[in-house]
Amino acid sequence: MARFLARRILELVIVFFGVTFVIYCAVFVLPGDPIAALGGDRPLPESVQQQLRMQYGLDLPLWQQYLNYLGGLVQGDLGTTFTGQSVSEQMASRWPTTITLALTAWSLTVIISIILGLAAGLRQGSVVDRSVLLGTIIAESVPIFVVGITAQYLFGIKLGWTPIAGVADGWPRGYLLPALIIAIYGLAGVSRLMRGSVVDTMQSDFVRTLKAKGISRRSIVGVHVMRNAAAPVINVLAIQLGGLLGGTVVIEAIFNINGVGQLLYKAIQDQQGTLVVGVATTLVFIFLITNVLVDVLTSVLDPRVRND
Amino acid sequence: MRGSLKSALAVSALSAIVLTGCSGAEPGDDEQSPADLVIGSADPVPNLTPGRQTNAFGLTMSIFSPLTFLDGDGELSYVAAESVESDDQIHWTITLRDGWTFHDGTEVTAQDYVDTWNTVAYAPNAFENSGQLSVIEGYSDLNPAEGEPSTQELSGLEVIDDLTFSVTLDRADSQFPIELSQAQTAFYPMPQSAFDDLQAYGQLPIGNGPLALTGAWVEGEPIIAEKYEDYAGEEAAVDQITWVPYTDRLTAYTDALAGNVDIARVPANRMKQVADDFDEDRLYSFAAPGISYLGIPYWDERFEDIRVRQAISMAIDRDAINDALFGDLNAPATAWTPSIMPGNPDGICAEYCEYDPEGAAALLQEAGGFEGELTLHFPGGAGHDDLYNAIANYLRQNLDVEAIARPSVGWAEFGEDRNSKVLDGPFFSRWGALYPSQQSTLRAMFSAAPNCTNCGGEPIAEVEAALNDADATGSEDGTAYVRAQELIAEQFPIVPLFEESYSFVTSDRVAQMTASAVGEPVLTEVLLAGN
Repeated sequence: MARFLARRILELVIVFFGVTFVIYCAVFVLPGDPIAALGGDRPLPESVQQQLRMQYGLDLPLWQQYLNYLGGLVQGDLGTTFTGQSVSEQMASRWPTTITLALTAWSLTVIISIILGLAAGLRQGSVVDRSVLLGTIIAESVPIFVVGITAQYLFGIKLGWTPIAGVADGWPRGYLLPALIIAIYGLAGVSRLMRGSVVDTMQSDFVRTLKAKGISRRSIVGVHVMRNAAAPVINVLAIQLGGLLGGTVVIEAIFNINGVGQLLYKAIQDQQGTLVVGVATTLVFIFLITNVLVDVLTSVLDPRVRND
Repeated sequence: MRGSLKSALAVSALSAIVLTGCSGAEPGDDEQSPADLVIGSADPVPNLTPGRQTNAFGLTMSIFSPLTFLDGDGELSYVAAESVESDDQIHWTITLRDGWTFHDGTEVTAQDYVDTWNTVAYAPNAFENSGQLSVIEGYSDLNPAEGEPSTQELSGLEVIDDLTFSVTLDRADSQFPIELSQAQTAFYPMPQSAFDDLQAYGQLPIGNGPLALTGAWVEGEPIIAEKYEDYAGEEAAVDQITWVPYTDRLTAYTDALAGNVDIARVPANRMKQVADDFDEDRLYSFAAPGISYLGIPYWDERFEDIRVRQAISMAIDRDAINDALFGDLNAPATAWTPSIMPGNPDGICAEYCEYDPEGAAALLQEAGGFEGELTLHFPGGAGHDDLYNAIANYLRQNLDVEAIARPSVGWAEFGEDRNSKVLDGPFFSRWGALYPSQQSTLRAMFSAAPNCTNCGGEPIAEVEAALNDADATGSEDGTAYVRAQELIAEQFPIVPLFEESYSFVTSDRVAQMTASAVGEPVLTEVLLAGN
């Protein structure tokens, strides 16, 4: 186990440096000058632009800029944006929001997809089964912004049940509707996987044995089927959690949720290099760590994976 | 795991109840007292220093008072200044009104203005709005082309006494009193305490205006300003204004629809729809000193013939586009500056700004046609797609050219390609003036050293001379600038498209809202229903 962990952590470090460098270069080679763009269609005076370029080290060659950036990073300094705001402060105010939103969405995915998967899997071929299969396809094929804006209009404006914008109402009122919409997009995959898993397990030998022993259906499903069917689903769900953190951009925009997704989107548009690298690196990091955790979890659940 | 199904069901049932049953505050909640105004703003504000802000005009104009003010009719009045006078349009004397104080209680003096302007103009401070001061003598010394400036003070400024200071300009400029008006925020004064920590001042600006901030601004949090009791000017009609930050304009607009926000700007992609969404008395559309053009890549010889440029202009149905895309809120341009400018020569573009598909095709034929693909360039991600696709359609249909519209990745790419003359077709061009004088737009677009590089087409030497002449001899009525526009009309360097309007929607609490001459509502004078 220790070797397994050490290897994964070493991988983490390598990926970390690789990713920061690639993202840094990617932002750098984007066409155009971010300083000139600061003023939009009312350009800043040339002397001001020069001063800003000097202040933010944009007149240096790429490798030197990257080394400066890394130097700061090692000391825990993520740098500043081109308007002089601290990158870590910008992120610190937004991470809690995004994490809350993603966790809420994820929990909803877990609860709803397990229920749907169980309901469909236990009654294979029934009306319930067919409606779950059809319903999840429909839900997933409608683009997320259509669902988002429609739901916002219906629940926010027409019915007035949920806030239209922002999370000022706190958890859960402010988060529930956007989280539910995000959850819909995880539902299809997970509930189908759950359904397949349940179907397989229900047909396995040990379940037949249990039935033959006269154990109640409720106990078979609740204890034995659930545990066995859950293993592959947990894997997918955990990976989804990592993806969710970065995948809330559209919903954050529609519901005016000041999260990391919004920050990243705006940063790319304005070519705020340090901000893009900061946010993207953190996202990559979270994704990597979730993956390591999943691997560890799986190897605990299923010792066969650990044999390497 | 016994019972897990049951508990899962319970949780989901619970969430369903929360989702459907929890009906909270009704729209238009009456938690606020009647004279509190809530503004939805979608522009990120990195810094609130008036010399630095580029998109917090409503807030800056509420907590600061300008030297001069131009109302919606273009009428000039004096606010913080008692007079702004000159005999030769070069040497100006500004006299301040007595008894004005900053929100920290200190008196507003001539020294404060001089110190502030020196700070704004000093290149190493990199103040975004420093260009507004460029007409003052000594600005170029503080902003050398290379290296550090050798001095920290504008040579053109001199304090005469506590309430009087003189300003010497680089050249004669009859428009100077107008340049001191409300939207040129670089001219606003800062108290002495600001200079100790400019960064902190940017979070908590202390102004001389009718409202004062209640606390330092925190990113992503609402900003609140309350009535400043010792304000020496005309008392504000509102007691408090709260600016609520939104990540985009559409969300702020939607929240105004629900009645949670009193005033929000209409996003570009809702202009067509806004009349359906809001009652007439909740929609305000103010003529703005902004104008859009189709820029011409004068470095491309295919556009050298004036008839090609005129043909492009005549092939575009401005009325139809205005109706289809802007809900008739903008207006087709008929000159090279918008008609809100005093003395604007409306209609000087004549038949070349009118839709005439046959005439356009004939004119292009006469000029020898157009070779190759005609690509329209515009900055992507800013909501201009529909407009440029529409223009490309008109050019394709009426001129029989292969016209396509191509967005750039963002501002940065577009700006650089334009500045370095890489664009190979007509492109997005616009100027939003900060003071309502033809001079502002003409100088920014058509002077020898335009603020907007390559935006105004091939430079015309006579225009520069006509501008200098108008600056020296003109007055606030603006008629002196007509000559420059005549010269532009003769050469037709770029194609005027639309005069802009800034449109706002309000909650039903707002009874009356008026705009000043810069198209922005005067927030401190908004009248609320029942007050």
